[in-house]
Amino acid sequence: MIKTAISILSSCIILCMLSCSSRNITAKYYYEHEQTLNRIEESYQDLYRQQPFTVAFTAKDFKTISLEIITDTLSYIYEFPLHESRLTDTLVKYGLPAPGVIELIRQMQSIRCTWTNMLTYYVDEKKNSMVFMSVKSVKRVLPLSYKKYYVLAYFSQPQSFDGSGKLLDKKTTRRLRKINGQTFNRINDKVCYTISGHFR
Amino acid sequence: MISDYLAFFKRGLLTGGMLLYTVSQTFALPANDLPEDSLVTSTRQQAIAFLDEIKGLGPSAAWPHIKPALFLQNLRTNVEQPASIYPGNGTNFCGYGALTYLFLLDDPLGYAKLLTQLYREGTASFGKTLFTPSAAIKKAAGTLRFKGVLDIRPAEQLWFLCLADHYKGYLNFLNRRYDPGDEDRFWASVNYAKFNRMLRKLLRYKVKARGADLVRPRVGDRYDHINERMKTGTVVLYINNRIIHKKNHVNIKLGFPTHFIVAEKISLENDLVTLVYWDYGSKTLLQLSPAFLKRVIYGITYCTKNEPGDD
Repeated sequence: MIKTAISILSSCIILCMLSCSSRNITAKYYYEHEQTLNRIEESYQDLYRQQPFTVAFTAKDFKTISLEIITDTLSYIYEFPLHESRLTDTLVKYGLPAPGVIELIRQMQSIRCTWTNMLTYYVDEKKNSMVFMSVKSVKRVLPLSYKKYYVLAYFSQPQSFDGSGKLLDKKTTRRLRKINGQTFNRINDKVCYTISGHFR
Repeated sequence: MISDYLAFFKRGLLTGGMLLYTVSQTFALPANDLPEDSLVTSTRQQAIAFLDEIKGLGPSAAWPHIKPALFLQNLRTNVEQPASIYPGNGTNFCGYGALTYLFLLDDPLGYAKLLTQLYREGTASFGKTLFTPSAAIKKAAGTLRFKGVLDIRPAEQLWFLCLADHYKGYLNFLNRRYDPGDEDRFWASVNYAKFNRMLRKLLRYKVKARGADLVRPRVGDRYDHINERMKTGTVVLYINNRIIHKKNHVNIKLGFPTHFIVAEKISLENDLVTLVYWDYGSKTLLQLSPAFLKRVIYGITYCTKNEPGDD
């Protein structure tokens, strides 16, 4: 009896672990939502050029955002509900085009995009930047599942990949590039994805 | 300058009803904003003069992947802008970063001499501590990648790896020898007792610590306790950073500390605590309720300058 119970329990644990497989979410997600994702990336790039900032949805209901506005001397990070007028007031105060940013936030909300950020990285001591986007899985995941976020990296230059499509550090090396501790897989020359338990 | 920030925040728009927000200074403070009192062990000017005297620093046989020019430039940046010390994305170097920040504020000349000796000779002593980094560390320094600006900071890489290699705590028990990638793992972790031990050994401070890795400090009102100590010394806080900087949407957050920060300023107004602190190459202004402050803090380390003869 005890052995049977242990077997059942073990099977449940194995099933839970299998549910963490990255097969749940694949590069198909990108192609299914390509237009929206690319629109978010493009408008974020445009808005970022006017005034650097990042946006994250910090609550499960996608109604609370964390907004970080980066100035020459300080970064201001706010957390408030989406419906509050303080969002617009704050954007205006820092010279961000409020309608554009609010439209970006709405687009992010529509596909459960949890975080948009510009990350810096170095190749041969030269600084580069890329857009980093995390999307909360729309597929049902078990409570113990770890892989809950689909993370996209948009590079401005074509990247190098190994034979299995893993992102490489640079052309002349076989070393895999890690971003936030994760290895990335090829979607196309400039866009890669990974699956993560964290959105940032 | 920090008082200007606080005044700005008190002016309405940014304070209305917000439960929690942070303000990070992503760029180092200008040099004239740095504390420079008569109690420091050495001054920034002494350290800069020492670095100016170093001419033609060549490659080091001990550290094959460190470029001398970049190393020297990195030392100069750290001495001139201590707040720019950056422990790296995704690493477990935050404790070493906080320690180094305090080191640079108190004894920049000692820091510059120690790191220069480590670079040139491969070993170095500081006070009663002898650093003899392992071969694996020497090979790894200068090669850490994908860590943000730490990628181009060889002096920080060398120093953090040396500290992690030299000081061990119970969190390092199962992973005591460096392998590539261990900077992100338990090999580099710093528990609270180890952090305080490093402070006592390396810096000329008297250190009094309250709290533990899994138990919050029993000090009554946190704000009063920290505020009182900041009037006479330096305060380092050991906090649970996962509930300040959310990384996922789980409802249950594990209650243990993950991060060391150096408190710079604290004030209380309208039942809202405003805390300015240093971490990760920048300064952050965080407003939070006293209850939230109590929830996040697991350790309060109070450092006062050693009197002559205390060594």
